[in-house]
Amino acid sequence: MKKTQYIVFTLCLIAAFSCAVDESCRTNRSVLMDLGMYHVNKTDTSTITTAFSFDSLTVRGLKYDNAANKYVYTDSILYNNAKAISKINLPLHSFESTSAFEVTFNGKIIKTNTVTNKNDTTVYVNKKDTLTVTHQNMDKYLSLECGSIKIHSVDTILTTNNFIDSIRITNRKVNNINVENIKIYK
Amino acid sequence: MLMVFSAQAQNIKSKTKLATDSIVVPFFNGIIVQGDVASIASSILSKSGTYSYEGSAQIDLKHKFYPTFELGYAGADKLTTDNIGFKTNGLFWRGGIDFNMLKQKKDSKPTTSLLLLGLRLGMSSFNYSVSNVNITDDYWGGSTQTLNYNNISTTKIWYELTGGVRVEVLKNLYMGWTIRLKTLVSKNADGAITPWYIPGFGTNKSSNLGLNYTVGYKFQLPAKKKLPVKAIESTPVDKK
Repeated sequence: MKKTQYIVFTLCLIAAFSCAVDESCRTNRSVLMDLGMYHVNKTDTSTITTAFSFDSLTVRGLKYDNAANKYVYTDSILYNNAKAISKINLPLHSFESTSAFEVTFNGKIIKTNTVTNKNDTTVYVNKKDTLTVTHQNMDKYLSLECGSIKIHSVDTILTTNNFIDSIRITNRKVNNINVENIKIYK
Repeated sequence: MLMVFSAQAQNIKSKTKLATDSIVVPFFNGIIVQGDVASIASSILSKSGTYSYEGSAQIDLKHKFYPTFELGYAGADKLTTDNIGFKTNGLFWRGGIDFNMLKQKKDSKPTTSLLLLGLRLGMSSFNYSVSNVNITDDYWGGSTQTLNYNNISTTKIWYELTGGVRVEVLKNLYMGWTIRLKTLVSKNADGAITPWYIPGFGTNKSSNLGLNYTVGYKFQLPAKKKLPVKAIESTPVDKK
């Protein structure tokens, strides 16, 4: 009995001291605004909304250049000619309350003409729209391993209408949980 | 009158038979005061900047029930690889009961060893600080924001399932170990500045394992009944 007690005790002691402290962060730290692209197909009898898959899409961040008094491109491209996508995730400014993006669309919309029963194809090439998002920035503490992140609350979103028809905020909270925040309609 | 005596005689007979089967154990059998050696060892060996010291008192009731009170002091002074600092220290206590699972065997020497299973409720109220938390903007750039969260107070509650062994190595000197499975009752709210370490519980996660190696002394009440026996025994010695 005593022998087994000591064996169990020794094993426990080893187990207690052998646990290495894991310092890696296992929580998702990336905070991105999630935008979904939709096509609304209106017929006389119904309205069908489907996810819009683009042939290619380019997204660049725009920063305000005070000297030049205009928006200029940021150094890195967020989406560079990305193929067949219907969703984009954009980072908002952590320390400023306005974030602007230029989106270049390449795609086509095929509509079936109910009278002739033929497909009408509309092709969009290099259509550019600018999205301007105003938002509030808040700190969120995750853990000692992961530190803190900036989360956002979207106030307004403005867009030009070269390609985009309309835009809707579906969830104002932009945080490390990936939920669709904005719906873009064509 | 004779009837009463015969009845009493029968009672005595049956009692003496019982007495050979089991030993009559008094209700209160002293207090074991213990210090934990394992927590001192782990504090010295700790690579994560944590320390903990604790002691306990166990009341021996009928050699079966051991109401237990544990008191300790623990803390942490940690720096992560990203240079985020965490500091805390505070008192903690645990209260509960142990049950001795060893049954006294018939016709054998009474054992003083204990095989204990028990329950505890633990609590700690403490202050802590998290410092040098940096936020950078990887895409848009800009300056780095440094956050310091100082002197946050909190109270955490947990419960424990314990199992252990105590052996009387010398007269009234007990040694043994206890394993604890600790489960946190207090929940961590999303986004709250949660403590990395909880005194008495360990690192902040839903459950933790704990180990104590205790050295203790059993304080017993002076045995009143035994005194006259000693006096009788000592008289012949005196005469010599």
